[in-house]
Amino acid sequence: MELNAISRISKILIAASLFFSCSSDLDFDQVNDLKLEPVLVGNLAYFDLPANKIIDNGEGQIAFDVDGFDVLKNKFFNERLKKAEFNFEIENTINRAFSVAILLLDNNEQILDTSTFQIPAYTGGTNIIKYPPEVFENQRLELLKQATKIGFIVRIASGPPLDENSLGNLKLRSSATVYLEIQ
Amino acid sequence: MRVVFLIILVAFQLSCFSQNRQLLYNFTSIPQSLVVNPGADVSYKYYFGIPLLSGITANLGSSSFSAYDLFADNGVDFNDKVRKIINKSSGKDKTQVNQQLEIFSGGFRVGGENSNSYISFGAYQEFDFLMYIPKDPGILALDGNQNYIGKAFNLEDLSLRAEVLSVFHIGFHKKMSKKLVLGGRAKIYSSGANATSTKNSGFIYTGQTAGSPNIYNQVISSNLELKTSGISRFTKDEYDGNIAKDIANNTFFDGSLGLGFDAGITYYFKENLQFTASIIDVGFINQTKDIETLTYKGYYKYEGVNPDFVDTDNPDNVFDEFEEAIPRDTLYNKYTTWRPIKFYSSLQYSFGESRFGEDCNCKGSVNRKYRNSVGGQLFIMSMPKEPFVAVTAFYQRSIFEKLDVKATYTFDAYSNTNIGLGLSANIGKFNIYALFDNVLEYKDVSKANSLAFQFGFNFIFPESSD
Repeated sequence: MELNAISRISKILIAASLFFSCSSDLDFDQVNDLKLEPVLVGNLAYFDLPANKIIDNGEGQIAFDVDGFDVLKNKFFNERLKKAEFNFEIENTINRAFSVAILLLDNNEQILDTSTFQIPAYTGGTNIIKYPPEVFENQRLELLKQATKIGFIVRIASGPPLDENSLGNLKLRSSATVYLEIQ
Repeated sequence: MRVVFLIILVAFQLSCFSQNRQLLYNFTSIPQSLVVNPGADVSYKYYFGIPLLSGITANLGSSSFSAYDLFADNGVDFNDKVRKIINKSSGKDKTQVNQQLEIFSGGFRVGGENSNSYISFGAYQEFDFLMYIPKDPGILALDGNQNYIGKAFNLEDLSLRAEVLSVFHIGFHKKMSKKLVLGGRAKIYSSGANATSTKNSGFIYTGQTAGSPNIYNQVISSNLELKTSGISRFTKDEYDGNIAKDIANNTFFDGSLGLGFDAGITYYFKENLQFTASIIDVGFINQTKDIETLTYKGYYKYEGVNPDFVDTDNPDNVFDEFEEAIPRDTLYNKYTTWRPIKFYSSLQYSFGESRFGEDCNCKGSVNRKYRNSVGGQLFIMSMPKEPFVAVTAFYQRSIFEKLDVKATYTFDAYSNTNIGLGLSANIGKFNIYALFDNVLEYKDVSKANSLAFQFGFNFIFPESSD
């Protein structure tokens, strides 16, 4: 008897609170539409090669190195990378012209991609070149994703000889802009 | 019984509440008001709550956005909505859920007819969730750092705590004199699941300095820590149980244990001028069951690749370096969590003598009953960043002897137009009460920044019935 009354009253209360309240249409499925598209910038590579360390034996190639490049081995980045741009900037204060090649290599040291940058000899004033970005999309992006190593080749053009007293530096600075899509 | 717990637990986990119970506080015709002030001036011969129906509260608060802002079916791109909320929020904005369910409750007078001492006891289940809006990490995830050169993304913005627990309590209050009521309550907490990550710090910085060998200065300084108890086994691959059922089971039968107390006072300066204060949940839980702490602590400066043309070198690997600098560590240390401490206070002025029951003032009591009361209340609750403060003005009226209503107007971080309405009615010995916070928002609950409701049923055998 008493319990009946309780259940009746509680029903009335709950129903009443529902009558008094309304709600706009909500669509919780929208959570599935969440797509993060952050654009991240970071350092890529840099070096500073002083003229007095350059050994010019007439072959043209004066410096070579291969380093690890494991960022894209990370599955999270690899799967979500939609586009990348590499920006290079070279400053040359040596009285010789250079070319710098940046190589992307796979695990077996096979070359996947090469970008080459020319910089003229220093003749006074400023001698900095900011190169147009190297854009990695579609097929070139797929090659980038396989890269695990990055190589650097510096070649020198003919000109006045260099020795341990030569002045100036060849400096490279570079950054990467990566476009991710996280769903 | 466990199945019942489970169903109710899951149903109410979905609903939400700020923990300020301004309507219940000092609403002394409801015995549950002893839960927010053990020194409330409540008297009874004995009472008991209808099991599972004596006190159901849910409270949700979100200081910078409503469900409508995020989930409105209005054709606006969801990502734009998220971006808008992140942009207008600050690291101090928060989302809060609190839900309580009284499992049983009761009380009785001790020491015979003329005694003024009362015992009250009970058990309730509570769910608590607090998360600050992770503004800086949110911007980083949405936009990246490209347009934020020179900004340090603050990792302190990552701050949350969540807990499911059951509380067993026993309280005692005594009318020391006509002017003074004192009360206290001891509590045993049993926590089924806890996650705490409130002491994070660090930053992610990308800057540019002219003349440096690299294009960017990039630094990650990380001091992140997530402590969990009662959760880690659900994250393991080999777990194939029912999470809700296991948490419910842990909460009531196999939780991490803790102790706490409440204390309260009611003092009458004059018969119609009353002061009250209480402090609730001064206590801790020793998190010991299924504990796991994850940390990412360290400092990493990212330089990019630096070829060495002179020596043959070991190629550096950025990720290996990063993982060495800021390793992911898992620890299994016990830890202690403090319950959020709540402080209430009120000052109440009463007027308009009631004529109800004048003819049966047979015990010769000089206590007059007033028809109307007005006053103010203060609520403060401890939080990881800064305390939550709410100020309430109220008006309370006895419409009939058996029907009391209370209206409140509350200012807090969630709203400055929060009007609450509550009523408590006695039908014979049967007491029914319902309290609705933020009534203006019920016209469209989806746009509300905070909502709270509470209702329950009791049997009260008043002193005057003997």
